[in-house]
Amino acid sequence: MFSRLPSIQTNMVLASVALIIMTSIMMSVTSFYLTKDSVNSTAQTYTTELVKQVNNNIKSYINGMKYMSDLVAGNYAVQAYLSSASFNSLKEEKDYKEAISEMLGAMLVSRTDISSANIFGYGGQFVSGRKELELNPNVDITSMNWYRNAKSMGGQSVISSSHVQPIFKDRYPWVVSLSRELVSKEGNKKLGVFLVDLNFSVMNDMFKDIRLGQRGYLFIIDSDGKIVYHPQQQLIYSNLKTEMIDKVLEVRNGTFISSQGSESRMYTVQDSEFGWKIVGVSYVSELAENQNNVLLSIIVLGIICIIIGIMISLFLSQRVSQPIKRLQGYMKEVEKGNFDIHVPGHKTVEIQRLARAFNMMVGKIKELMQQTVLDQEQKRKSEIIALQAQINPHFLYNTLDSIVWMAESNKSREVVLMTSALAKLFRSSISKGEELVAIKTEIEHITNYLMIQKMRYKNKLDYHIEISEAIQEYRIIKIIIQPLIENAIYHGIKMKQGPGFIRVACEETDTDIILIVEDNGNGMDEEKLKSLHLPASVTEGGRGVGVRNVQERLKLYYGAQYGLTYHSVLGVGTTVYIRIPKIRQVLEDERHGRNS
Amino acid sequence: MAGIHKWVTTAVALLLIAVAVFVYGHNGLSSKQKIEVTVILKTIDTSVEFWQVLIDGVHEAAQEFNVNVQVWGTKSETDVDEQIALVEKAIQNRPDAIVLAATDYERLVPVAEKIKKSGIKLIIVDSGINSDSADSIVTTDNVSAGREAGEAMKSLIKDQAKIAIISYVKSAASHIDREKGVHEVLEDHPGIEMLGTYNGEGSEQNSYLLAMEMLQEHNDVFGIIGLNEPTTVGAGRAIQELGLKGKVQLIGFDSSFNEIKLLDEGVMNATVLQRPFQMGYLSIKTAMEVVKGKKAAKLIDTGSLLITKQNMYEEENQKLLFPFVGNE
Repeated sequence: MFSRLPSIQTNMVLASVALIIMTSIMMSVTSFYLTKDSVNSTAQTYTTELVKQVNNNIKSYINGMKYMSDLVAGNYAVQAYLSSASFNSLKEEKDYKEAISEMLGAMLVSRTDISSANIFGYGGQFVSGRKELELNPNVDITSMNWYRNAKSMGGQSVISSSHVQPIFKDRYPWVVSLSRELVSKEGNKKLGVFLVDLNFSVMNDMFKDIRLGQRGYLFIIDSDGKIVYHPQQQLIYSNLKTEMIDKVLEVRNGTFISSQGSESRMYTVQDSEFGWKIVGVSYVSELAENQNNVLLSIIVLGIICIIIGIMISLFLSQRVSQPIKRLQGYMKEVEKGNFDIHVPGHKTVEIQRLARAFNMMVGKIKELMQQTVLDQEQKRKSEIIALQAQINPHFLYNTLDSIVWMAESNKSREVVLMTSALAKLFRSSISKGEELVAIKTEIEHITNYLMIQKMRYKNKLDYHIEISEAIQEYRIIKIIIQPLIENAIYHGIKMKQGPGFIRVACEETDTDIILIVEDNGNGMDEEKLKSLHLPASVTEGGRGVGVRNVQERLKLYYGAQYGLTYHSVLGVGTTVYIRIPKIRQVLEDERHGRNS
Repeated sequence: MAGIHKWVTTAVALLLIAVAVFVYGHNGLSSKQKIEVTVILKTIDTSVEFWQVLIDGVHEAAQEFNVNVQVWGTKSETDVDEQIALVEKAIQNRPDAIVLAATDYERLVPVAEKIKKSGIKLIIVDSGINSDSADSIVTTDNVSAGREAGEAMKSLIKDQAKIAIISYVKSAASHIDREKGVHEVLEDHPGIEMLGTYNGEGSEQNSYLLAMEMLQEHNDVFGIIGLNEPTTVGAGRAIQELGLKGKVQLIGFDSSFNEIKLLDEGVMNATVLQRPFQMGYLSIKTAMEVVKGKKAAKLIDTGSLLITKQNMYEEENQKLLFPFVGNE
C-alpha cells in the first residue's frame, strides 16, 4: 500500500549492490592494468632472455671458428709453406701440404658443424682440411666476398653473413664463413687467406624452432643489414613482407615497437660481439590477446562477485527486514480486531524489544477494550436502577395514600396540586429517554418531587432551591439530584426531631459546575460516611443504594475526577457536592451513539 | 517486497547471461575460428625441391595465420588417379578450404567442382584446371614468365638466329602459357626463325634425345628454350656432349642442382625461377581470407625471376636458387 516508498530491504540491497559494483569495478580495473603491465614486461623479459641465449649459442660457434683461425695463423708449417717462394723439391712442398692438411683435418674430426677449413695462399696454394674437396673451376675465389673482406681487414677475422659457398665442385652448401688474412710472423708479409665455413644448417635448425608466442619469430642480420637468418626471407625479398631493418641497425640493445596498427610488432634487439644483431619479434596483438584473456577472466570474476554480493545482500536484508515484516503481519491481525496475539521472541535485541513492546501494547488495548465493555454494561445497569429507584413503590404508595387522605378530608385543592405534581414528576423523568438533560429540567424535576414531599411532611420539611440562571442551560445526566434529596429526607430529616430544611444550591468554576444538596438532618458518623464510598454491590440493598448508583453513574459518565463528595457532621447535617463538567450541548453523534 | 525480488532475480539472470555470452563468444573467437585447410600437391616426394619449398611456405603461413594445415600429395606427379582419390578423401574430412595443385588440367575438373558443391573453398596453386570453380588461383603468370625467357634469349641475339623450344607435356596449361609468352617476344621478329616446339613427352631423357637430334639436324641453331627443369637439363646435356657450349645458348626454367651446375659451367645462360615459397604462403593466406569471407583476387601472380651466372650468388637470389640450407 506504500508502493511509492522504498522498503528497507530495497534500500539495503540497492546500497550494497552499488557498493559491490563500485568495488568490483575498481578492483577489476586496477588488476587489469597491473596484469597488463606484468604481461608486457614478462613477454619482454622472456624475449630478451631468449635472444641472449641464442646469442650465446652463436657466440660459442663463432668463438670455436676464431680459435681455429688463431691456431692456423700461428702455425709454423702454414707460415713456412705459404712464405716460401720456392721449395727444394716437389716432395718437400707435398710434405708441407700434407702436414697442413693433416692439421686442418684433425680440427674437423668430429666437427660436423664445420663444413670445411681451407687455406688459400697468395701464391696460388690451396690446402683443405677435407681432402675430397675439389675447387670449382668456374668460380673465381678472389671475387668472393669473404676473400676480399679478409684481405681488406689485414689479419682480422671476418664473419660473413649466411651464404651459398660455391667454391667447391658440385657443392653448394649454405655456410657462415670466417675468413682471415694470414700474415707472416714478422708481420711484413701477407701470405694468404684462411677460410673456415660453418654449416649454416646448424644455426638454421636452432632458429627454426624458436617461436615467440603463436606468430612471433627470431631473425638475425649482419652489420650491413643483410639477412643472416629470417624464417620468411623469401617474402622479404619479394616485398611481401617488410622488416624494420634500418631501425634495428640503429638500436644497439633494447626493445622497440613498430607502429603498424593491429600488426604492430615488438622488436627485441641484442647486439652480438661479432657484428650480428639478433632480433626477437613478437606480435603486440598476441600480447593484447593475452590481455584480453586476462580482461575476460577479470570481467567474469567481477560479475560473479557482483552476483554473489547481490545474493548475500539480499539474504542479509531479508534477515533484517523479515522480522519487521512478521511484526507488520501481527499488526494487521490486530487491525482486524484479533487481540489474542502474542509475538514470539526473536534472536536480535532490537526486534526482541519491539516484540515485547508490541505484546504489551496489545495486552493493554485488550484490557481497555474489556474495561469499556464492562463500563457500558455498568452504565445500563445503573440507569435501570435509577429508573427503578424513581418509581419507588413505597414513594408511590405513600403519595397515593396521602392523596386518598386529602380527598377524604375534602382537601380537593391539595389533591389537585399533589396529583399534578406527581404527574409532572413522572412526565419529566420518562419524557424523552435522553441521558443528558438541561439542569433546568433536572431542577423542575426535583421541584415537583420536593413539592409532593412537602405536602406529605407539612411543617417537618422545608426547602429552598437557589440555582443561578447562568447554569440553567448546562447539561447533566438525569435523575442525579432527586436520589440525593430522597436520601436527605429519609435518612436525615425523618430521623431528626423538629423541622428539617433542604437547600439545593450551585457553584461554578471555569470548567466545572458543583451542585450542592444540603440538609440539617441527623448527619452521619465516620463509619457511615465511609460505607458510602464502597461500590453498590458490597452493601445490602435499600439504604444508600440510590446514592451509590448516582456516584457510579457520574464516574462512569464523566470520569474519576467527577462525582459526589460528602460533608457530614452527626446531629448537625449533611452536605453533598455534585461535581460535573460544563457541557453545554450534547454532540449529535455522541447522542446518537449512546441512544443506539 | 515482491518487486525487489523480481528486480534482483532479473539482474542476476541478466548478469549470468552476460557471462555466458561473453565466455561463449570468446571461446568461439579463439577456438572455433581455427581454420582447417587441406593442401593437396602434385607430389610430396622430398627430392623435388619445388614442392618442398612450397610446403615450407605453406607451414610458414599456417604458423603466422594460425591455420591448421594438412599437406597431402601423391608419390609421383603423374599419378592423377591417386590425386583424385586424395581430393575425395579430403572432401570427406570437410575442411574449410582445399588448396590444390592439379596434376591434370582436365581430369581434376569434376572433383574440383565437387569440392565447391560441398561448400568447401577451393584455392588452386601452381597448376590450374579447365574450370572456373576455384575461389582463387595462386600461380606464376606463365605467359609473363615465358616472355621473360624470350626477352633473355632476344638480348643475346645479334642478327640472325634459329630458336627451338622444348616442352614437357603438350597439354599442361603452364607449358602452353610459357610457350605463348616466348612466342610473343620472338615471333615476327626479322632475323629470328622459330624452329618449332619439340615435345619432350614427360622425361629428361626424351628431351635430351630430341635436343641431340635437333642440334645434329640444324648445325646453326642459336638457342634453345627449355620450358621446365627436365627439358632444360636434357638440352643442356646435349649441348655439353656435342661440345656446343658457348655456341648454342640455353635458357631454362626452374632450378635444380643440375641446372645450377649448367649455369655455373656456363652451358646455360639464364633460368626463369618461380617462387614456390610465395605460392605456398599466399595460397594459405588466400584460403584464410576466402574462408573468413574477405574478397580475394581471382588470380594471384607470384611472379618470376630471371637468374643468370652473374646474379646467381647475389644475396636475394641465393635463397631462391638454393632453397635448402641443409643440402650440400
